[in-house]
Amino acid sequence: MSGRRSRSRQSSGISEDQINDLIIKLQQLLPELRNSRRSDKVSASRVLQETCSYIRNLHREVDDLSERLSELLANTDTAQAALIRSLLTQ
Amino acid sequence: MASADKPINTDVPEKDVFALHFLQSLSNLRRQNTFNSPEKTNDRVKKIKKAAYVSMARAAGGTSRLWSRALLRRAAKETNKVVRFSRRKKRVTWLRRRSNRRDPVEEEEKEAERLRNLVPGGGAMETSKLIEETAYYIKCLSMQVKVMQCLVDGLSPK
Repeated sequence: MSGRRSRSRQSSGISEDQINDLIIKLQQLLPELRNSRRSDKVSASRVLQETCSYIRNLHREVDDLSERLSELLANTDTAQAALIRSLLTQ
Repeated sequence: MASADKPINTDVPEKDVFALHFLQSLSNLRRQNTFNSPEKTNDRVKKIKKAAYVSMARAAGGTSRLWSRALLRRAAKETNKVVRFSRRKKRVTWLRRRSNRRDPVEEEEKEAERLRNLVPGGGAMETSKLIEETAYYIKCLSMQVKVMQCLVDGLSPK
């Protein structure tokens, strides 16, 4: 059942509407496309494209923040207290 | 799989759940002797990055989502730990390539393929499932980024 990728054959029971629904949900998560008017419908492939680049951006941010954290954590004494403090006082 | 009437749930846990898991990972890391030596920077960065992804996967529900499962499996393979999973999904990407039809679905599928490479565990998912998992993955990723940003801000000298 998981081999049925083509949408014209509805053997898996996932309708086209559901997929469009999901695409819309995805679109609302993306900062780029979130504010676009409902009248101009963004194509599904555009949404997927933006999703890919957004994920790549997030990965890059994780990398960047990991590097900075690594530098900051190198100071053993001060870091410990500051760690707890920073997360408890947001 | 008749899931037509079930609404797609994309609620992620609160930020503190992510923060807690990440802090736990970090404190475990700091207990290692080699962690605090100033020379091994690249090693440290890699470990922190891995801790970020693993703690994110755990905060998001561990083995209950496909992508978090794949993340944990990937991380466990690196450390040779044994992790239990309930089911293995077959890789289904090969079946798609056999079709030579040129229709609007094709361009979408191409993008979906790229997405599959980005989301962990994506290769074994059907397109609709992939989209759902992606939504959840994006939310968790941005949550994790927020947590790490808060940490960095808190640790930086004023």
